Parts: sequence; C-alpha cells; structure tokens
Amino acid sequence: MKNNSLLVNGIAIALLAINAAQAADAPVSGGSLTWGVTTEPSCFDPHRSSQQAAFFVARNYIDSLIAKKTDGTFAPWLATEWSISPDGKEYTYKLREDVVFHDGEKFDAAAVKANFDFIFKPENAATAVSLLQTFDHAEVVSPYVVKLVLSKPDSSFLESTSNVKLGLISPKALEKGDLCGGGRALAGTGPFIFEGYTRGQSAVFVRNPAYKWGPGNAAHDGPAYLDRVTFRFLPEYAVRTGALTSGQVDLIEGVQPTDAPLFAEQPGFKLLVGPSGASTSFTFNINYTRSPADDARVRRALRDGFDLEPIVKQVYLGTVPRAWSIIGPANPAYNKALVGSWGNDIAGANRLLDEAGWTGRDSEGFRTKDGKRLSIEVGYPQPYVRDNRDILIQGVQASLRKNVGLDLNLRLITAGEYAKNNANGTWTIYPNTDNPSDPARELWDMLGSKGFLYANIPNPDPVITGQIDEALASTDPVRKRELTDAVQKRGVDQAFIVPLFAPSWFLAAKSTVNGLSFEAGLDSPSSAYDFWIAKK
Amino acid sequence: MWFRIISRLFTSLVVAWASVTATFVALHALPGRIQDILAGDLEYPGLREAIAAEWGLNRSLPEQYFDFLFRIFRGDFGTSYVLRQPVIEVVGSQLLPTVELALTAGVLAVVIAGGIALLTAGRGNFSREIASVVELVFASTPVFWLGILLLMAFSFNLRWFPVSGAEGWKSIVLPSITLALPTAGLLTQVLREAMEKTLDQPFVTTVRARGVGEFIIRWRHVLRHALLPAVTLGGWLIGGLLGGAVITEKVFGRPGLGTVTLGAVLTHDVPVVLTVVLLAAFIHVAASTLLDILYVLIDPRLRAQ
Repeated sequence: MKNNSLLVNGIAIALLAINAAQAADAPVSGGSLTWGVTTEPSCFDPHRSSQQAAFFVARNYIDSLIAKKTDGTFAPWLATEWSISPDGKEYTYKLREDVVFHDGEKFDAAAVKANFDFIFKPENAATAVSLLQTFDHAEVVSPYVVKLVLSKPDSSFLESTSNVKLGLISPKALEKGDLCGGGRALAGTGPFIFEGYTRGQSAVFVRNPAYKWGPGNAAHDGPAYLDRVTFRFLPEYAVRTGALTSGQVDLIEGVQPTDAPLFAEQPGFKLLVGPSGASTSFTFNINYTRSPADDARVRRALRDGFDLEPIVKQVYLGTVPRAWSIIGPANPAYNKALVGSWGNDIAGANRLLDEAGWTGRDSEGFRTKDGKRLSIEVGYPQPYVRDNRDILIQGVQASLRKNVGLDLNLRLITAGEYAKNNANGTWTIYPNTDNPSDPARELWDMLGSKGFLYANIPNPDPVITGQIDEALASTDPVRKRELTDAVQKRGVDQAFIVPLFAPSWFLAAKSTVNGLSFEAGLDSPSSAYDFWIAKK
Repeated sequence: MWFRIISRLFTSLVVAWASVTATFVALHALPGRIQDILAGDLEYPGLREAIAAEWGLNRSLPEQYFDFLFRIFRGDFGTSYVLRQPVIEVVGSQLLPTVELALTAGVLAVVIAGGIALLTAGRGNFSREIASVVELVFASTPVFWLGILLLMAFSFNLRWFPVSGAEGWKSIVLPSITLALPTAGLLTQVLREAMEKTLDQPFVTTVRARGVGEFIIRWRHVLRHALLPAVTLGGWLIGGLLGGAVITEKVFGRPGLGTVTLGAVLTHDVPVVLTVVLLAAFIHVAASTLLDILYVLIDPRLRAQ
C-alpha cells in the first residue's frame, strides 16, 4: 500500500513537472551535477571502506534492507517489512520482488544471504564485519524472505541492517572479487550506476532508469532526477570554494566556516548546515590505563582545566555548538542531563593536580612530579585531520598550559603509526568522531571492552564496559536508554572522554540545485537521489 | 662516439640493476617480518599466509632475490593489499598524467629560462637586475601557494582555465606553469651565469669583431657553451619536478603519482611505495643517461676523445 501511494506520488510529481515546467518548486528531471568533495574514497566497496567522509558517495549506488529516519525509527527500502523474534535473536525481512542489480542479476533472499556470508567470512576482510559481532548465519526462508540469526540478542542489529556498510552488492560481483576500484563491476541496486573512476580526479555515476525502489525516507519515488553525477576530488578548501564561486562545480561539501558568508544568503548560492553531530561528537578519548592518565584526578584536571566554549566559538565562528556528551545533540539517544554538568573549573583542576602530587614546576612552567613533566600526548592520525580540528586542539593545548600547567602534546601521526599504537594498546589520547550506528554500538566502539579502541587493552573499566554490554543485549528500549545515558555520564564523570564539539556538515551549492538534505543513517549529506536542477 | 654511448647505456643498466637489488636488500633489512611490512595497516586472517605465498617467503634468500629480479623485469610489482589491486594497475594508470605534467613543465621551464637568460645575460645591465629578483622570488615560492594564486587569478576570476582534472589541454596550463616557474627560476640563474662567463671569452670578441649582431652571437655561439652546466642541473631538476608534481596534483585535483604516493606512505602501503621508489630510480637513470648522451652531442671535444 505504502509503495503504491509513493508510486502514485512519484507519477503525480512527474506530471506536475511536465504541466508546470515554469514552477520553481516542482522537481524536474534531467541535467548533470558536479560535486566537489574533500575526500577521495580509498575504496569504493562499502563492505570494505572505513572512511566516514566517503560513505555518502557509496549511497548513490548501494541500497540497504531498511532506511533510517531522522527521528531514529526505520522505513522500508529493499525490505518491505521486518520482524524481530521475542528472544531478540532472529531478524526476518520480507523483500521486494521487483529489484534488479545493475549487472542484471535478480535481487532476492539468496542475494541477501550471499552478502552477509561474504562479509562474515574472515578471509574476505570486510571491515563491515564489525557490525556482525553477534551474527551467526543467514537463512533463505522463501525466495523473498530472509532470516538473519544471531548468536545472542543484539539491540544494535536492526540499525546495522540500515547501514551502508551492510549494503547489498550483486552476488555475481562479489564472486568476481575485489571491488575497491569501483566502476561498473561494483554492481549495487542504487539509483545511480557506477560509470567510471579516475584516481585522483573524479568518479562518475549515471541514472539507473529502472529504479523504482527508493527508500521510505526519501522525498520521491522512481528514478533519480539527475542524468549524471560527477564527484570531483578537490582536497583544498580554497580550491573547492573557488570552483563553486566561479561556477565550475555545482555543489561542494566541507565549506570552511570563514567561507560560509560567501554562500549564505548570497544571490545565486545557498548554504546548508548538516546534522549537528547526530552521531558522536568530536571527542578526546583518553587511554585511562596508561600513566599519567590512569589517575582519575589527572584526567579530571584535563577535562576541567580549560574553557571550551570560547575556543570552539573562535575556531568555528559560532557555526557549531560545543559538546557535552560523546553522543551528538541531534541524536535521539543524547543524554541532555550532561549539559552544563562539567568543564571550566580551573581552580578545581589545579587542586586535583596538587592532590595527585604534580606540585613541581619546570623551567617552561609545566607541572612536574619526581622530575617528570605532566605531559599527555594526543596522537592524531594525519589523514583524519579535517575542518580545523588540529587548530581546535591547539587552542585547548594553550589553555591547559596556561591554566593548570598540563602539557597536552599534540602530535600528528601517520595512519600506520596509529594502527600500530592501537594494536599494542599504546595510544594515548585519540581524538575522533565515530561512524554512525546504533547508540549502544557507538559507545561500544569507543568505550567497550572489545571495541576498536579498547580491544587490545588488558583491563578496561568493568563498570562502563559492563553497562555497554548490557545495553547491547537489552531487548527493552527503556532499559537500553537508561544504560546508554549511564554510559555517557560515567564516561564524562570519570573523564575517560572529553567531548569537544558537535561537528556539522557544511554544504554550499548553486541556488538552482534543489533537494539537498542530510541522511540520518550516515550523519552526512544524502545521496543525489532527490537532487534536481531548476531550469532558472 | 658510439663506444661512449654504448658503454654509457651499459652502465645505466648496471645502475638500474643495483637499484632493484638495493630495494630488495632494504626490504629484508627492515626490522620485522616481511609479511607484516607488506601488509601495512591491515590485519585479517589469511593475509600473512597469502603474502608469504605470493612472495615465496619460505624459499631461500637467493631464490627470493632472483625471483624478485625476474618479476620486476617482467613488470610484475606485486599486489597492494591496502587498495586490493595489482600495484602495476594502480601506478600504471597514474604514470601518464604525471609524466605529461612533468614533461610540459620541464619544457616550459627550459623555454622560459633560455629566453630570459638569452635576453638578460651581461653584467651591469638593468633588465638583468630585475630579472634576477623575479627569478629569486619564483625559485623560493612554495608550489602550493603559487598554484592557489594562479587558480584565483586565471580560473576563479578570469575563468580561462578549469580548476581541476586532466581533460583537454586547458587543464594542464595552470599546473604546468605552477610547476615550471620555480624550476625556471633556478635554471635561468645557472644558465645566465654560464653565458656571462662565455661572453668574457676571447672568441666572442673575435666574433664581434667580424660584425656579427649581438643576438646572433648569443644564440649561435654563447648559448651552446652555457648549455653544459644547465644540462647537468636539468638532470637534477627532474627529481624536483617529480617531487613538485606531488603537491601540484593535490592542489589541482589532478590524477597522478603524487596522490597515489602520498596515500601509500600514509597507509603503509609498502608494495606501492617500493614501486614508486623503483620507478623514480629508473627515471633518474634514464634521464641521466640521456643527458650524458646529450653532452656528447653538444660538446665536440667529448666526441673526439
């Protein structure tokens, strides 16, 4: 029923477009769009990619079983309906019967099973396997009904099936092997078909004319409006801005706050500010098992020894809010009780450090104990540095030095060095925003005992890891909410984490580009499915 | 003369072989197991075993060495485990745009340097003073900054050239100028220095005494003498052009080795890094061989020996 009404809607919109070609607010089909983006995907295969900044590209050719809506609930997509068994271990999806992959293969329960089997097999080394921690096996119930069976209840699993990382690729393409290089070989069911990729320059997608299975969270149904979408990789801020102001591209993401006035309310342009860290805030994750941060007093002094508000305001010119919790303020699971509950207590921070025995001072004014300087390193992997986050950390660094004599030692390291530190559990402070997923799963990633940060650390805090494990296993949403709130609170109370700001996505476009939005499931710009270009 | 050229070609082969050997030795001298080094940041079951099998790591060192030599000779540079593609595909597809850019920039640099030197050589003249200040500015301007400035002027404001990519001749104009100017700055200084030395030679006075015009003197007689040091420097500058290409490609969003190399270093993609290092060595060998042969053609004294 729902799909029928959507289809009718789609036809109605199409008719409207034909009848009222002059009407500015009716979507029209046709045209090409060039999108200047910051990050070139190092791998186009969503099962294997791990770049948060590149997933929205994959959304153009990859569909999922279900779609996440901005209120945190789910809408049908390739699955028309789904059910969860009372014990929380069996997820059954009823699939659409009219879906075809870009290479002509039929989409059915066997194809879904093939995808989950592929990701789950260790030798395929799909990074998406991190979402299948509790997955046991997939069963084809009937040609268009598939059942995913878990080894234990996992409240994050439903959301995982909406994630682009578990998106569906033609089984024939999977068999052929490595799809990182993109192109036609990477056959999904999405609204656009992968036409070609020139490394270092661009990736091109053309409309999938057969598309009629748009997600329930989209603004229209049927094929995409645009004939063609080109992603141009322009890593420099100034170059992206100039490319748009001179009309050489139609849309850019990653606009610097200082450039925002060039586009906001300017004739011929528009500026969109994306979801405010609906997923996780940009956060210092402190390795609380390593000296000197194994002392809670030192961590709390770091948390409270500076005034975050003016630093964030200065770096981002008031365009983004400071953070209070590791979960972003736009996320339904945000613990609002944390607002105003911590930070900027310089006298208290100094008292804590005195108590902890850091009473000496060296020639540069830093606190010392037994001749050792109070120094904690921030190891920031260089490839992940974006939107002035290094400058923000430098601001915190200067404040901590002046206010409490703590040496926050920012080091930009290579991804390789970080991987090594992570594998040995020797990372110090890791600053990041996490990929979007279920809130309990996000907290598990950053603070859980086997999440990607603490996996190689022998004895993480049993209270917080216990709360996270319980939240993941809980099938009761009320209890789950209590637990995720408690984890956010304990993380800040114990200063395991110091949330800094809630990042937003800045999009700027020519005023003729319409239908821009942000996707809840990605916490980033949506795919170009709803985009259309007005004929002025 | 032919003996000279052939023996030069032979030594270049030896140098190329030595660089392959050095790469092999370096790989084995690095601390840690080879399969860990080649895997980069990746960690998944079966990966180390697959690498060990692909590289024949269970065999004796000499066997591995000859296998490595033979593979490079065949053009098989292994697999990038990070990008999950054969290295030759990754690097091969990026080679042409970089060579195009470096060559255009190289030619441009030589033309600019030759032209300016020809016109301004000669002590105590005003145009020379101005030119040498401009050269100094170009030689010391960061490529990154120069690129952005050129883009602002000629792409964003005047809209004569596209901002990015490598499609059509227009897209190579700004990047190649960006890359050529610092090189030209250096080259002009050397070329003029050499020309000025030659202008002081007695034979120039003789030619002048025959009533030959100043420009002809410079173009036909002096320039040739000044070419030798410039050619020597030119060989060295090829390295600079390749290095500068890394940044230029990034600023202009151009495909090329720069993007690939930077990514490979940051992600510990050792097979790709090794291939780029080898490639750079081969290009240097080829360039210096070519230049040495050019010497022979430029300088008749070398031919006579």
